Amino acid sequence: MPITRRQFITRTGLATAGAFLGPSLFRNPLLRQAIADQLDTLDRYVVLIFLDGGNDGLNTVVPLADNGPSQLRYWYEQARSAPSGVNPGGLRLAVPSLQPTQIGNDPHTGTPLALHPGLAGLWNLWKTYNALAVIQGCGDPNSLEFLSHEFSRTVWQTGNPYSLPAYTGGWMGRYLGANYLPNNIPAVCLRDSIAGEFATAATSVLAMTSVADFGFPYDQWDLDMDMPFKHDAFSTLYTSAKGQAQPTFAFLGANGTATLTASDSYPPVSDLYSNDVSRAVFDAQYQGLIDNNGNGFAADLREVAKIIYGVSTGVPNIKARAFELSNGGYDTHSDQGTNNPNDAQLGLHQQVGDALNVFYQDCLDMGVANKLCVVIWSEFSRRILQNASGTDHGSQGPVFVIGGAVKGGPSAANGGVYGNHPNINSDPNVTNADGGNGALNGDGNTVYSQDPSDPFRSTDIRDVYGTILKHWLNISDPGALLPLDGGAAAQYWTAPNFDLPFLV
Amino acid sequence: MGNENTVLTTADARHLLRRAGFGAPAAQVNAWGTIVTRGAAADQLLNFPKRVFKPRGRQIEDRHNSWLKHMITTRAPLQEKLVLFWHDHFATSNDKVDDPVLMGNQNALLRKFCAGNFKDFVKAINKDAAMIEFLDTVRNSQDQPNENYARELQELFTLGVADYNGTRNYEQADIVQIARAFTGWSYNNRDVAVFEGGDHDYSADHPERGSKVIYKTSGGFGANGADLTQSPYNAAGEGPAEIDGVVEIIFNHKDSDGKRTVARYIAGKLFTFLAQPYPKRPAQMTQAQRDALKPIIDQLIHDSNFDTTWDLHALVRAMLVSDAFYVTDVAADPQSGFSATDLKSVKWPVDYVVSTMRVLNLRLRGRFAFVNGGDFRLISDQLNDMGQVLFEPPTVFGWNWETAWINSATLLARFQFAVDVIAARGGGSTSFHPTRLVNINLTDPTAIVNAVTDALGVTDQLTATDQATLVNYLTDGGTQATIDLTNLDVRNRKLNGLFGLVLQSPTYQVH
Repeated sequence: MPITRRQFITRTGLATAGAFLGPSLFRNPLLRQAIADQLDTLDRYVVLIFLDGGNDGLNTVVPLADNGPSQLRYWYEQARSAPSGVNPGGLRLAVPSLQPTQIGNDPHTGTPLALHPGLAGLWNLWKTYNALAVIQGCGDPNSLEFLSHEFSRTVWQTGNPYSLPAYTGGWMGRYLGANYLPNNIPAVCLRDSIAGEFATAATSVLAMTSVADFGFPYDQWDLDMDMPFKHDAFSTLYTSAKGQAQPTFAFLGANGTATLTASDSYPPVSDLYSNDVSRAVFDAQYQGLIDNNGNGFAADLREVAKIIYGVSTGVPNIKARAFELSNGGYDTHSDQGTNNPNDAQLGLHQQVGDALNVFYQDCLDMGVANKLCVVIWSEFSRRILQNASGTDHGSQGPVFVIGGAVKGGPSAANGGVYGNHPNINSDPNVTNADGGNGALNGDGNTVYSQDPSDPFRSTDIRDVYGTILKHWLNISDPGALLPLDGGAAAQYWTAPNFDLPFLV
Repeated sequence: MGNENTVLTTADARHLLRRAGFGAPAAQVNAWGTIVTRGAAADQLLNFPKRVFKPRGRQIEDRHNSWLKHMITTRAPLQEKLVLFWHDHFATSNDKVDDPVLMGNQNALLRKFCAGNFKDFVKAINKDAAMIEFLDTVRNSQDQPNENYARELQELFTLGVADYNGTRNYEQADIVQIARAFTGWSYNNRDVAVFEGGDHDYSADHPERGSKVIYKTSGGFGANGADLTQSPYNAAGEGPAEIDGVVEIIFNHKDSDGKRTVARYIAGKLFTFLAQPYPKRPAQMTQAQRDALKPIIDQLIHDSNFDTTWDLHALVRAMLVSDAFYVTDVAADPQSGFSATDLKSVKWPVDYVVSTMRVLNLRLRGRFAFVNGGDFRLISDQLNDMGQVLFEPPTVFGWNWETAWINSATLLARFQFAVDVIAARGGGSTSFHPTRLVNINLTDPTAIVNAVTDALGVTDQLTATDQATLVNYLTDGGTQATIDLTNLDVRNRKLNGLFGLVLQSPTYQVH
């Protein structure tokens, strides 16, 4: 029998979904509009940030010292050598380099932890605003089988590790589709296609790389001269359709007019933001990062800030409250580096950390920091045992959550650290049942576990998503949107916990 | 009351070409309207080439483009329309199958049987390697029976969950026994289905699983049901012949009206696809809709003998000559389930793209297939943004039809495609040539607008208001009494602009 691998081909974009078998109440458009209005009244934002390539979580949230028998720092140092003349590719982050970004303690072992030095910007959010929480050991039971970028990315985007057919589209897509109408635009992706986590057929998610440039696709010939006439004609055609009794036409009309309105409304927000003196300080800070550090991620984040500015200042027809953007290059099989200037992972962390530092303070100044929930994820982490100068695909990694209402920072329990640091014991003298050394499996990876008695128990990403749905987006039953696993309770996700303490 | 000898009106001809093809070019409409009978037109449409096309290419994207290009140039658009229907019906996604060869083979199978014998079609699909992979038949062995295929075979491919009266067509027990029939099947490295006796669930090995008897509580087989290991359904007994026995039984299944369930299910779905936009499956319809559809379906089955011959050609032909097909207006009538006039159907994204390319005589450019004016946007990406990627239906339920194709983002994708088409400037067949479609010596704005809408084959579908809107656009808000299309600048702005507006219009999204 041929061996097959489930390789999910990347198809970001709308999956015109098969029947979403959610509760029938969501079929009622009036009810969906009511809920949508209610969510707008909830007045909150969600920003999803994807670190593309598999960020090495083990060098992102790092043990500082041993505490107890887990010896996390010891095993970290066993696996990762210090950079030296003999092995310049060593990935060990030395304790002195980590102390400036020390955060809280691993809840179960009490191990003191620190962020990668490149994340000084995030550390500032942790320290100054108590706005950063770290959820360790996040993963799912299936993608470990394949360690494929596309497969794991799809699992994290869909929240559906076993591809159960009733749960179509992205995890946020299912939430959006159940609560908004086709001619609403509740979400924007800062890229040139719809991100997988937002995929839904039931409402509109827009993709744009720049607010100023987002527009209706007009033919470019004599654009300035002819565009007003084209615009008017288009608008008249669709408004006329909207008013017709025939339901298909009415539906087309409603959607077409909403689309045109969005393309009219979004671009001016860019100037509104840039021309508002109260934003000038932050605008300049983003620009500084872009100009001096080539930080394209900062440019994308500023676009999100502009839309949030539009929503929060009540610009008509700007209603998107969920956003997605990404930073790329995290697939550091080689030349990952530590904390020397120009080291790869350092550079990436600086881009994201510095940009978020500006963004958070911008939002704080706008009065929306308490309404913000930023989630930073990657499709997998990387193996503790390094290769010559980098790391290969691994498993459970940290998710960062940022926001004014997040239980983070030094004022929170364990300094805002949740979940469990994975067990990185790689003792070569111990061969375990998985065929690996120490606590690692035969591939050299840490193991996904939902065993309540396991001190290194993983956090299933669906618990993270569900907690956000429940405690941030006020969805009373996130279980309807997230597929449960069958199988043994210790190895699969069979007992949801949508009350993870990072938000509760 | 019409029949196959009724001569097509011009409006009939347009409707037929749009629904049973990819658009209604004026020349074809003129050749048929008031001249040709419904039957003769149907026969021409159903005249498919002998050679069965198979999409080729190393990657799945290549096969996607190969099929799309074939749709654009084929002389048998109804064949491709039907293949699209069956691709949605026997939905199989390369996301999971991950094998362009298998997907290409399945596509050829769909084309071979698209208007053939439906019972043979199902027997062949049972053994199609892509399907064996997709619905886990390959993982269905006697130790771990996998019910996926047994369920979908009944629920989606042949019977439907419930019949037109809402009565369940099968029970979980039927799924279990049918799953046993499919154990042991997989495919070899020449992609041919093979049966491994060692993996097969023989009753002797698993007496605790009962006998392979199905439909004891439905289907009209009586309390003893139908045994898939014995005559009359399976003379060869236990083993590889069981899956054919299952098919024989399913095709004998009768619903709560005593009609052949498969016939009603398939006829209803094809009718919905080609004629009147009911919901895709009876399970999604209201009882009023099912009651309205039933007599239409039964008449078509009667006219074609589909429930005995299982001949799809006859069924489709009966559909294409029936009055029900040519009804485009229904009075607001709660019985029909349609609340207003005009039975508009939203064009599938592939239809939108293909019919546009065909009516404008445009070709896609290059191996990677893009529209020549589109900043090298790949047509597969554009179709993805419109919500439809060939070879990758989102689930085994296929795509969602009608207004589910439409939201702000998918509309923008259609509009972007329209702009790319009219921007395709340069030479050759990959470029847009409005001067070949419209007489540029026309100066009267209304005549020009009509010429454009004629070229796109949609003049009859536009209201007077829409036409006025287009004239208003052409004349810069009524400030130009005449238009000089011999002026290149005016042409590039206004003539191309008109084409673009029509392609983006609400009317053009439906047919």
